[in-house]
Amino acid sequence: MLHAKIIDLPKEKINLEKAESFISSSKFGASIVFYGTVREDNEEKKVTGITYDSHDELVIKSFKEIYDEADKKLNIKEKSVFIEHVKGYVGLGEISIIIAVACPHRSEAYDLSRYIIEEIKKRSPIWKKEHYINKDSQWLKGNPINVNENN
Amino acid sequence: MKIKLELFGASKDLSDKDFLELKLSSNSSISDLRNEIINYVDKNFKGNKDFKKIIETSAFCSENNNIVSDSYKITKDQKIGIIPPIGGG
Repeated sequence: MLHAKIIDLPKEKINLEKAESFISSSKFGASIVFYGTVREDNEEKKVTGITYDSHDELVIKSFKEIYDEADKKLNIKEKSVFIEHVKGYVGLGEISIIIAVACPHRSEAYDLSRYIIEEIKKRSPIWKKEHYINKDSQWLKGNPINVNENN
Repeated sequence: MKIKLELFGASKDLSDKDFLELKLSSNSSISDLRNEIINYVDKNFKGNKDFKKIIETSAFCSENNNIVSDSYKITKDQKIGIIPPIGGG
């Protein structure tokens, strides 16, 4: 079972309760809620916030692919997964991403949670523009998408 | 052909809008589109090297949301998304 969504700030809100509620089931004995927040420094610069941009359709497609791959690559059949990523401006300490997973056993839950965040970092078309205390801002250098892997 | 190039991430600095409108000759490919965007940077941003690097390392996304290679043929007026190097989370 998968929930995948882009949260368009400030029209919508991201919250942990929704994630916990989605994955809650007596079928599962292990649940992990991972969330990423905006950190106050990066490469010796004082950060005040991040603007996220997203190609929504491709991002949702990538979330579904990553979820499906967990069957084959990790052999995790029974699972509940909740993924939300924001787009728009996020202030210091605020949440940019939630990945909540529930599986029958803890080893599967840890593996799945880690797998999802690492694959999102590599494959999901999301971009960050950092804003700094001196009012400067810049798009962060990312990793090029591998065209062949996606064809 | 008219191409509406949807801008994402760092490529948004190429325009005040979220897109660029470009013209390509018929039977063009993504490779031709990439060259046309580089021409646009030469004309409008004095060949800004950072912008050119972004374009050279970007992927492209077709109207039906598939990442397409440089040899992909663009056969009609359409929207294409430019996908600069990524890094969310």
